[in-house]
Amino acid sequence: MPMLDIKNLTLEMHSSEGTIKALDKVNLTVSSGEIRALVGESGSGKSLIVSAICGALPSEWSLTADRMSWNGENLLGMSSQQRREVMRREIAVVFQDPQTSLDPSATLGEQLEESIPSEFVQGRWFWQRAQQRKKIAISTVHKVGIKHHKHYLSAYPHQIPSDIGQKFMIAMALVSQPTLLIADDPTRGMEPTTKTQILKLFTRLNQTRSLSILFVSHDLLAIASMSHTMTVLYAGQTVESGKMKHIKKRPLHPYTKALLDSAPSFRKDLSPKSHLPTIAGSIPTLQHLPIGCRLGPRCPRAQRACVQTPAVRRIHDHSYSCHYPLHMEKL
Amino acid sequence: MIRILARYSILFVLTLLVLAVMSFSLAYLFPGDVLENLTGIVPANDAQRMALERQFRLDQSYIVQFFYYLTNLFAGDWGYSFTSGIELRDEIGVALPATIELATYSMVVALVIGIPLGYYSGMRCYSTSDYIINTSSITTYSFPVFWLALLLILVFSLQLDKAPLSGRVSLLFNVEPVSGFILLDILLSDMQNKSLAFKDALSHLTLPTIAIGAVSTASMVRITRRSVIDARHQPYIAAAVSRGLSGWQIFFRHILRNALLPILPLMAIQITTLITNTMIVETLFSWPGIGNWLIQAIYQRDYPALRVGMLAVSTLVITLTITVDMFNRLIDPSREKYEHAAI
Repeated sequence: MPMLDIKNLTLEMHSSEGTIKALDKVNLTVSSGEIRALVGESGSGKSLIVSAICGALPSEWSLTADRMSWNGENLLGMSSQQRREVMRREIAVVFQDPQTSLDPSATLGEQLEESIPSEFVQGRWFWQRAQQRKKIAISTVHKVGIKHHKHYLSAYPHQIPSDIGQKFMIAMALVSQPTLLIADDPTRGMEPTTKTQILKLFTRLNQTRSLSILFVSHDLLAIASMSHTMTVLYAGQTVESGKMKHIKKRPLHPYTKALLDSAPSFRKDLSPKSHLPTIAGSIPTLQHLPIGCRLGPRCPRAQRACVQTPAVRRIHDHSYSCHYPLHMEKL
Repeated sequence: MIRILARYSILFVLTLLVLAVMSFSLAYLFPGDVLENLTGIVPANDAQRMALERQFRLDQSYIVQFFYYLTNLFAGDWGYSFTSGIELRDEIGVALPATIELATYSMVVALVIGIPLGYYSGMRCYSTSDYIINTSSITTYSFPVFWLALLLILVFSLQLDKAPLSGRVSLLFNVEPVSGFILLDILLSDMQNKSLAFKDALSHLTLPTIAIGAVSTASMVRITRRSVIDARHQPYIAAAVSRGLSGWQIFFRHILRNALLPILPLMAIQITTLITNTMIVETLFSWPGIGNWLIQAIYQRDYPALRVGMLAVSTLVITLTITVDMFNRLIDPSREKYEHAAI
């Protein structure tokens, strides 16, 4: 049974022009011990899914799901107290932008120490506990590869470079020893060496502590090197999901194929100075979402049936939602 | 740190210099003869006129005159009032503390009532209690100060006879001015019926403080509420929620401080309004403050008094504004990147 199981997650935003379905029947599962990649262009709703899981969405948006469970418990039906307990101990989130996700008026050390669950610190007196918190903070910071803990623990968020900030976000997520780590584009804007460090850290944590990771990114190369399974998102709809090696070898959805084709590192047969294949157009804005399959207007294989939202079909553990998938050649 | 202090003091000195130039030029801008405006004496003959001009350096260039004015100001020789004949320095020394006293109490009321109410309604934004607080603060904010003061006099002094009509303290009590603050002076003095005098001074204070404090409180509520709502929508609050912190932890560790930081510079702007309101209300309650005193000076065409009074009031406002801004600059860690001082 998967740890995190989301079925038909729909997020509706109410605006003056009516309701907008920012997420339309999204399916996502994360099993224990796996690294699941969540891939999609900017604006495809990746970060919205992350916020929906951690319950940080504004209350005026309506969130519905057929199933949204964490270890068999319904996340949507939980009391806020229970939900907080889950977020505190079991799920940890690394947000996209460390500069805005850190409180500008508190030092990094204070923020890291407040994330340590109180069960981890023993001691009768508050100074003993404070000392222990400090010790845990320093060792966690070392684990994510920040060497000068003295300098950075007493720094304010605006005083640090962004890759340190990102590592700090990871440290804050890991300090509560979660079972699922949700990393929302953790390597954005990092230079390749730091990026490799972070990705290595994730892989190591996954192997040694069997930490499950939901890795949200659009860096296909990083994803391909570390993740076991992958879910592709387009304009708020899940397009395809399955084992990484299956998808890489034989994508079934036209969008997944276009996505993989557009990454030069996946193409061995690409001749020098040739154009990268792309599909025409760009991702629709939330105000102008097409009906049915949202790839429809851009899809090279689209036909009349595509104005209906395709149902999810599955071949073993590889699922896709397309009326005319690539393995059905009769068109 | 030293750089910040240096920058703020340069700004302070320059602003004061501009004010001094303006107050100096007032002597030439007032209608009538410059010499008569400055001295209050109509010279009987040319010889006397020449002598007076030489005494006030009017025969020399503007620059020399200005520096003469500055040296006089620093030496404490601020001139004499036409009407009372007392030295202006002594008159302002009595009137300005009275104004500061009234403004301080109103500010304290605004802070003690306004900020907690603002936090409460910001945390409960768009609920019924928030709507009630918000509506009443807008209503209070829209009251003209002078009208509210008149209404208070009408109801509490004339109809209900609960509070004295005017003045600072009953004439029965003879309070020695030491600090200029009436409550402090009563406590410091060695009169026999101290508690009675204190009660009497308080009852004189209540109505003007309410009149001035109501508007300041209302604007404080609105500023705080907005700031709290803004802070609550920051991404780091969402991040704190997702880390599983409880509502109280998030409020005390993240919202409280971050909402308070933008309030301070807005408070600096409020000070100007506060002093203006105090000066208006003083006139209505015959409070012997600087506003009342300036109005009297205008009625009497007391030009030297107007000149120095304007300088004194604006110096007070500038000092407060720059001090609050510097304080804010010192406590806000994220403002380190802003090098320059500004009002």
